[in-house]
Amino acid sequence: MKKLLFSLLGVAFIVALFSGATAINPLDMSPVESDILLGLRLPRVLFSAVIGGMLALSGSIYQLTLKNPLADSFTTGTASSAALGAVLGIACGLPTPLVPLLALGTGLCGLFLVYRLSVTAGVINPVTMILSGVVVNIVASAVISFSKFYFEESLSSIVFWLMGGFFIVDWTRLGVCALLLAVSFLLLQRIGLQLNLLAFDEASARTMGVDVARLRRFSFVLATLLVAVAVSHTGIIGFVGLITPHIARSLYGSDMKRNLTASTLLGALLLMLADAGARSIIPGGAELPVGIITALLGGIFFLYLLRTRRERLWHG
Amino acid sequence: MAELQFDTLTFTRGEFNLQLPQLRVIRGEKLAILGENGSGKSTLLQLLTGLLEGEGTIRYDREPLKQISTIERAHIFALLPQQAQVIFPFSVFEVVLFGRFARTDGRQPSDQDHKQTHELLKQLALEPLSERSFNQLSGGEQRRVMLARALNQQASVLFLDEPNASLDVRHSLDIFTQLQQTTQTVISPVHDINLAARFFDRFWLLKNGRLLADVDRAGLTTDLLAETYDVQVSTATDSFTFSR
Repeated sequence: MKKLLFSLLGVAFIVALFSGATAINPLDMSPVESDILLGLRLPRVLFSAVIGGMLALSGSIYQLTLKNPLADSFTTGTASSAALGAVLGIACGLPTPLVPLLALGTGLCGLFLVYRLSVTAGVINPVTMILSGVVVNIVASAVISFSKFYFEESLSSIVFWLMGGFFIVDWTRLGVCALLLAVSFLLLQRIGLQLNLLAFDEASARTMGVDVARLRRFSFVLATLLVAVAVSHTGIIGFVGLITPHIARSLYGSDMKRNLTASTLLGALLLMLADAGARSIIPGGAELPVGIITALLGGIFFLYLLRTRRERLWHG
Repeated sequence: MAELQFDTLTFTRGEFNLQLPQLRVIRGEKLAILGENGSGKSTLLQLLTGLLEGEGTIRYDREPLKQISTIERAHIFALLPQQAQVIFPFSVFEVVLFGRFARTDGRQPSDQDHKQTHELLKQLALEPLSERSFNQLSGGEQRRVMLARALNQQASVLFLDEPNASLDVRHSLDIFTQLQQTTQTVISPVHDINLAARFFDRFWLLKNGRLLADVDRAGLTTDLLAETYDVQVSTATDSFTFSR
């Protein structure tokens, strides 16, 4: 099974590398073509893989810690509140390295708000959580749109922030994101066994030897950091974190250590392909924001989950 | 020797107030907590397991609970809560194996842990369900799996909140027989008074957050039960009696 996943990743990588407005024959490349391939496409494909991994990893953690199969950075409102922070940071002329930190701050605020609204007596109501996420999303998107009108000059297009895309890619950004993904992945793997126990009700988990509050806090911050950094670079790309942990669970079981690995790889796979699609769907070199494609896929998947798990969502 | 003791213990939440005098539990005792709904049985369990904090010092082997780390607590006691649940489709075996978490100090369970989990499942007649997804089991089956999970923790004190809730009569008898034979201390709110009287050797009777009585089997009289539950109790009975 693992072999299959890695082979698929390899195939997706090659497909993504050779998709785009310019058709490139690898056996007969002009200098311009090799520049396009190595200077533009390679970092972009790698970037989409890393961002996909980050979003999927955060989705896997959100679904666990919020005990909600419909949770990811988008449905919890975290991505849009993080984007809001990034937008405000850029608009106010904050130095570039500080922008993701502000995004982390607002992302955590958004998540905390949604969490508080959906918890009653220590139990998270999954439906209230989704509704609160929708509200946070709407409000954050409205403020982002407002900021765009107000600070016209300093902000890139509204489409970038709300639908996401890999319009600005360089090796430094790629390096920072890859490093963060690697470190977060290793940290989460280290506590993988404890994370499993978060799947239990709080009383069971605590008496089984896990400091639930501390573990949850740590996971929330780390997952939100992943989202904040991703969003600061690519805008809101929704639903990658929703879909992949489910596929990973159905292929490799529920164990969190395996789920974290498989989700991350599947996230990379999904976003590489989605971005390849975004670059080649419209003829003539124009590209779609990748968030449109993931939202389309994610929306359908969301409906499917809603349909198959309705009973458990409403009745716990 | 007292394994668990507390001085006066008080806890208030809204209208509800729990206030208990100094009490102690001896190692290996089988203690049933009796009382009507809302008398404070589950709250007491949550206080004793540190899930809620009240006033008064709770001690395990003389050490205050507050000074015991989360993982050490899991060595000392295990809890079966009333509403135990797992999200995600974990298998029965995985769920029960998670009970070993504290015993392995958070490390990957060893072959020995796997073996022991298999044996426990066999002992509790849960082996046929071993590979099934926990969430697809019936309520009673889930209850038995969660109990197995708590037993697999091998803690010296077992807090079981109505262990036979949603269990049929045969499985209730099996579980209570098993609990009676263990060397572990068992502290358990029980609703079925006849089963409690048969399998437990000490009884705390709660009413409106107060301790009405702390008695052994001989002290469990009809008058006391009548007072506890506000009902009339007689022992001349036309009910069925079950045994295995």
